[in-house]
Amino acid sequence: MNAPGSRPSDRSRWPGEIGAALAVASFQLGRMVSRQRLLLAGLGVIFPAAVMLAVRRTAALGLDRDLAVAMIYALVPEAVCMLGLLVTMCPAVADELERGTWIHLAVRPGGRRALLVGTYLAAVIWTSTVAILAAALAVFVAGVSKPVPLVGMLGALVLLSSVGRAALFALPAVILPKRALVASVGVALVVEYLAGFIPAVVNQATVSLRLRSLLVSWMSWRRQLPIEIQLLIDPQPAWVQISAIFALAAVLLVVAVKILEYRQFPPSTEI
Amino acid sequence: MLSLTHVTKVFGSVIGVNDVTVDLGSGAHGLLGPNGAGKTTLLGLITGQLRPTMGQIRVFGERPFGNPRVLQRIGFCPAADILERRATPREWVRYLVRLSGFGPRAAAERADRELDRVGLGEAMDRPLSTLSKGMRQRAKLAGAMAHGPDLLVLDEPFDGLDPVARHDLVGLVQRWAVDSDTGTSGPRTLIVASHLLHEVEALHAGLAVILGGRLVASGTAEEIRDMVDAMPTEIRIRCDAPRRLAEAVCDTTSAESMRFEGDDLLVVATRQPRALAERIGRAAVEDRLAVREVSAADQSLEGIFGRLVRLHRGVGS
Repeated sequence: MNAPGSRPSDRSRWPGEIGAALAVASFQLGRMVSRQRLLLAGLGVIFPAAVMLAVRRTAALGLDRDLAVAMIYALVPEAVCMLGLLVTMCPAVADELERGTWIHLAVRPGGRRALLVGTYLAAVIWTSTVAILAAALAVFVAGVSKPVPLVGMLGALVLLSSVGRAALFALPAVILPKRALVASVGVALVVEYLAGFIPAVVNQATVSLRLRSLLVSWMSWRRQLPIEIQLLIDPQPAWVQISAIFALAAVLLVVAVKILEYRQFPPSTEI
Repeated sequence: MLSLTHVTKVFGSVIGVNDVTVDLGSGAHGLLGPNGAGKTTLLGLITGQLRPTMGQIRVFGERPFGNPRVLQRIGFCPAADILERRATPREWVRYLVRLSGFGPRAAAERADRELDRVGLGEAMDRPLSTLSKGMRQRAKLAGAMAHGPDLLVLDEPFDGLDPVARHDLVGLVQRWAVDSDTGTSGPRTLIVASHLLHEVEALHAGLAVILGGRLVASGTAEEIRDMVDAMPTEIRIRCDAPRRLAEAVCDTTSAESMRFEGDDLLVVATRQPRALAERIGRAAVEDRLAVREVSAADQSLEGIFGRLVRLHRGVGS
């Protein structure tokens, strides 16, 4: 028989929960290393570079640096990150239900929370890795000057995009697990690309506003922008934008965890 | 240990569990019922996957749903097969133990030990997809037991297994119930849900019979037999003169109804089969009847289950 206290006690719950989330993240990353996912990741890395190569060839006088940065921003922190998170974050619950592993996780203490947080971490790590590689390759192919700081800046935007949007997609993943992909595309379009471009209070709660504002700030574009475009940018300093993304992600993730902890998935064989 | 008070679970217009009240102490318990009877829903309620629509569930004195203190002490082996095919049993069980709050080293030790215990020591590094159903079932059991639960809940654990694998797993579960070296700290409770009575019978478990979401009987096998004894039992008597035998036994109060089948068979329904048997014996001696066979309805658990089901459906009362 085990010595008393060999079972994790309530006192060690928090480290245990962090460990459980890390275990889920590690397990999910192991699942992602499949031929299909690697092929998708490869496409994600190559696609922006291919676009930049095509644009560069058609530009007779060479590619303008600012234009190249704007294009890479649209292709990588926006498109690649969004697609990567749709593939990795949306099926957080649906995948477990399909594999018959949900029950095994749901009966573990903190299993539901660990599943969502761990999948979130895995999605951020996987998507960011793919997107940073894509950004680096695209910058190299575009042939812009001072590529290293540019890759650093795009890498930071990629990380922030993944952190914020993975949390955003966590909500459809727990509310509509079987329709999470469709729901997430809808959320992305309505929240990020509709509400995010409305120059009102509503766009303050979007990741796209924060990322655009950071790009403009870090590229020192603000003074060059027409006044109409400046309405779509938040003038506050970078630390405010970064804090807003982390705060938004934390709130969305906590709400998603609470919903998942409350959800019940009836045994289909019985009803 | 486990207490359900008027527990009802409704899914939309479907009743999964209907007004179940039962108290289970430590030891082995069998939950019997045909497919779709509500066993999995009941286990879902006990293991904290589902909340009751009405009523109250207490496991170790606490509400199980979303309660880490209770879930920490529960091991659950669901009926569904694991479709996690790329992982190996070692990776899978370690993963589950880590989700129970153990660190990587402790999880590795516990997983390896439990996989050895269930007989998967040799195959623990093969992908689950390459294992037989019996081996995957063992991996599931190891996952349910490795964190040292006090309550082990198994849903159709022997379903689809060949007789050898079934025998092995029954032994394994029996050993868990009596073994003191499984990492638990108190008396253990085992709940096995099955639609096959002989599986539960082999575990020498107390019984709870569920049908249509309702608990139709509970207690020891003997208690359930006593309950069934109160129901009319059909006694089949094969003799050379069934009509004379019928005259001899119809004067007793033990016979409730009679019918003849063919030329040599008398079927008597009675609530007092022993008294009837004695009367048949006396009649055979006194009236010189050649009684060739006296057989009662099946008194095995299979028979009891079938009769409880009939009773619940209002047949044969």
